Amino acid sequence: MTGKVIVITSGKGGVGKTTTNANIGTALARAGKKVVMIDTDLGLRNLDLLLGLENRIVYTIVDVVEERCKLKQALVKDKKNPNLCLLAAAQTRDKSAVTEEQLKNICEELKKSFDFVLVDCPAGIEQGFQNAVAGASEAIVVTTPEMSAVRDADRIIGLLEAREEIKSYKLLLNRYRPHMAAAKDMMSADEVVELLSAELLGIIPEDTGIITSTNKGEPIVNDENSLAGRAYRNVAERIMGNDVPIIDFEEEAKFSNKVKKFFSKFLKKGKEN
Amino acid sequence: MAENIFAEIYNKILGLFGQATQKEDSKDVAVNRLRLVLMQDRTNLTPEIMQRMRKELIELLSKYVELDKEALELNFEQEGEQMALMLSIPVVRAKDEAEIEAALKEDEEKGNSEDESDEETENSEEETSEDESQEAAENGEEKSEEQNEEEIEITEGSEQSQEENEEDKPEESSEPKKRGRKKSEE
Repeated sequence: MTGKVIVITSGKGGVGKTTTNANIGTALARAGKKVVMIDTDLGLRNLDLLLGLENRIVYTIVDVVEERCKLKQALVKDKKNPNLCLLAAAQTRDKSAVTEEQLKNICEELKKSFDFVLVDCPAGIEQGFQNAVAGASEAIVVTTPEMSAVRDADRIIGLLEAREEIKSYKLLLNRYRPHMAAAKDMMSADEVVELLSAELLGIIPEDTGIITSTNKGEPIVNDENSLAGRAYRNVAERIMGNDVPIIDFEEEAKFSNKVKKFFSKFLKKGKEN
Repeated sequence: MAENIFAEIYNKILGLFGQATQKEDSKDVAVNRLRLVLMQDRTNLTPEIMQRMRKELIELLSKYVELDKEALELNFEQEGEQMALMLSIPVVRAKDEAEIEAALKEDEEKGNSEDESDEETENSEEETSEDESQEAAENGEEKSEEQNEEEIEITEGSEQSQEENEEDKPEESSEPKKRGRKKSEE
């Protein structure tokens, strides 16, 4: 088996790289794929928290690199899904503890026995980014419809294009607020896509459920009723090569804005009477 | 036609009451600001480079007209799909024929000496600039890369002047690639 190695990156911090990683990974595993996630954010690891695996980590990627354990030993299995594994980052070391070459080798090794290797990239464009990208052949650039995130995403796209090993990259628009976009208070998905001239992989709406699901250490894709969960599951389908249309949140929002307006007028009238 | 007039009057009345008739959505502001900033990021036209471009334009135009150097504006603007370099030149007065000829002659003489030794004129240019050290660094870079594409020249010159201490960063040297793509896609 030769799996795909996909790096999930963004440039700017706090746009939802790790959340995206946890959810796409979980969704792919739910669909029956064998998935391993690598946290390369040495010193600031968080992927374990989002998956609720923080108490199960024995060895980290640094232990693998420094040959204190075998690669297989360091993989932590997910609580629910046996198809899903995590290779955790070391919390006590910095980005220089693993080199590009070492990460490349780990990815090469893992893709022999997994369908998907998802690499969680640290924020920034320094060595940590270069390391994370080294073993990947595809990239997902996470951004939000905010100026700073879009600008940083553009920079990241430039750096990805400069790396020959990255064959393709796609954009994931996170924390999208359809109501604000419909009211023209926030950039629309089309505008972000046009600015960055990149292919869109999916749109994830802002969802307060992300916070509660993180609190519990359970990715939101497991919640059948969540809108963000549904959007992430669709993204996973697209990654597997299935043609799933992107949900038009803006149209839905426009409609519900109208309904709200109508009812608020109605209520006002009622009060006046 | 009549409707237009009424609409205009209506808008003017609204304007009188301090109401913005054409309220620009904040997201449009964001999109426009981003367009400019991404353009600058992609081409690496740093403020220093823009300053240099401005200076050279003044030098060139001064041969033909007397212009208000302080008020000259040079900015990027978005015109639909196209990025445009907008140059606004307040002209104090047009130079007469004799003045232009004199300026051109002076220029020619300069040009002749340039043929003899390229570097000398390059250096004399530097001396006239305000921030000498910065310019010197840029000129030094650019001289060595003059045979290359203009785009690359600008990119690397500016990058290096900012990050003189960091050498051989792989992502820096390969950046022009991306810009090539962006352009070709557009």
